[in-house]
Amino acid sequence: MSDLGTIIGAGMIPMGKHKTSSYVGLAVPAVRAALRACGLKPGDIQTVTCGHAFGGMLTGQRIVKEIGIGGVPVVNTDNACSGGATALHLATRDIAEGRADIVLAIGVDKLTQFGGGTLPLVEEDPEVARGMVMPALYAMRARRYLHERGETPELLAGVSVKARRHGAANPFAQFRKETTVEEVMASRPIAEPLTLLQCCPTGDGAAAAVVVSERKRRELGLPGAAIRASVLHSGKATTGFRDMLTPEITFHSAAEAYEQAGMGADALDMVELHDAFSIAELIYYEALGLCPRGDSVKLLCDGATSYGGRLVVNPSGGLLAKGHPVGASGMAQAVEAFWHLTGQAGARQIDGARRALTHVTGGGISGMDHGACTIHILEAAA
Amino acid sequence: MTDDPTQAPAGDAVNDAVLPMDDLAPDPEGDFVVRDGAVMLRGARSASSGVEAFPARPICPETGAYDMEPALFGPEAVLYSFSTIHVSATRPTPYTLGYVDFPSGLRAFAHVRAPADALACDLPVVLRAEGSEWWVEPA
Repeated sequence: MSDLGTIIGAGMIPMGKHKTSSYVGLAVPAVRAALRACGLKPGDIQTVTCGHAFGGMLTGQRIVKEIGIGGVPVVNTDNACSGGATALHLATRDIAEGRADIVLAIGVDKLTQFGGGTLPLVEEDPEVARGMVMPALYAMRARRYLHERGETPELLAGVSVKARRHGAANPFAQFRKETTVEEVMASRPIAEPLTLLQCCPTGDGAAAAVVVSERKRRELGLPGAAIRASVLHSGKATTGFRDMLTPEITFHSAAEAYEQAGMGADALDMVELHDAFSIAELIYYEALGLCPRGDSVKLLCDGATSYGGRLVVNPSGGLLAKGHPVGASGMAQAVEAFWHLTGQAGARQIDGARRALTHVTGGGISGMDHGACTIHILEAAA
Repeated sequence: MTDDPTQAPAGDAVNDAVLPMDDLAPDPEGDFVVRDGAVMLRGARSASSGVEAFPARPICPETGAYDMEPALFGPEAVLYSFSTIHVSATRPTPYTLGYVDFPSGLRAFAHVRAPADALACDLPVVLRAEGSEWWVEPA
């Protein structure tokens, strides 16, 4: 098994509406926290990867120059919602290919710059030009799911209730108040059948991780979260039929990740998955192999994916409660996993967590299920 | 349209296949035609692969061949899924969208006009048009 690196230090800021913070203002505290967590100095960093969707030119350089990191390669990447996870993927490549022993990976985005509303998509796309917005895409998935499975919208509301219950214990979450099925259903319609509380909130955030080679980790003598798999896929476009309950990009990425890690879904103690909208969690249960196809309703309703269940899905509260600052989210998932695998998750700690999977997609172009999908599998390393 | 059939050195001359595609230029003929009262979408089909596309485009999205030819789709289709949207920064709300599947297998992203309780997944729909606008409604 090749060395994809180990996260030995990680940090994030509380997700929320930080209108008076720049990209630098958002990311620098997360980067400093990641460095402090492992006792490394800015001058120790050998390469930097930075994921974002809306940060503009040289986002990574703007951030790291503020703390004395310079003279090293800084690679900026956009992959929509997968930006931060793509930065982590690039960090694993730097380690695996021997390019560096110590990499700083950053995810950051500021959505309040747009003043609210749905995620701004690329207007050149023909579906976007005709009115496509991200809630519409997920709403059509939801409509089809309810139709094929014979379920009602209250099922979807149950996903939000679980997310908000988890988020209530997470001081980094944007929403920290529990909710009920009745409250979710009564919130205003966004894209039918999805209501407001079934949609992730607009917000700002940043997260960062220090990834080191195994050789460096042993030299430093630090515990961490070893990256056992790092998979990045683009979607495959079609102009014809697409089964919206079978997100091919996540199915394929997950299969590849399990093969790379040499373990299956049954080995996982926790999953942070891309619940941008309530329906997504149910569809991804099946795509990630957490249950057989057709059993996602049972998995949710049995409580198998909450504390006390078979594994915990989205202990952070997920995107629905923690918030979804697009390019930050994939990195924030990895930070959450790192905290659980190193026993630092506080009140929401999953007892004895040893293995975690993080999953984030990136969508919004016609003909694709999504344009990007990134999956990481992490394992506690003492 | 074909790729450059000549043997000229690639750097010696510009041919049609290397000109930028005018995919943002307004199409004076619009997205649809009306034949005997039936509305049909103006798409394209690859001469070599048979892959169909809407909107029309010059290059096959499966094989990359530069051989897409005009093709018409409709007026009948089936509504795969749909949603009424209540939030938009760019257009009046609410509006209803859906994916419709044509008998050939082509899928199109469509505006849907119908009372919400008149819609369902797998409902037969038909293309309609007025002025420069087209949409689907229950057949």
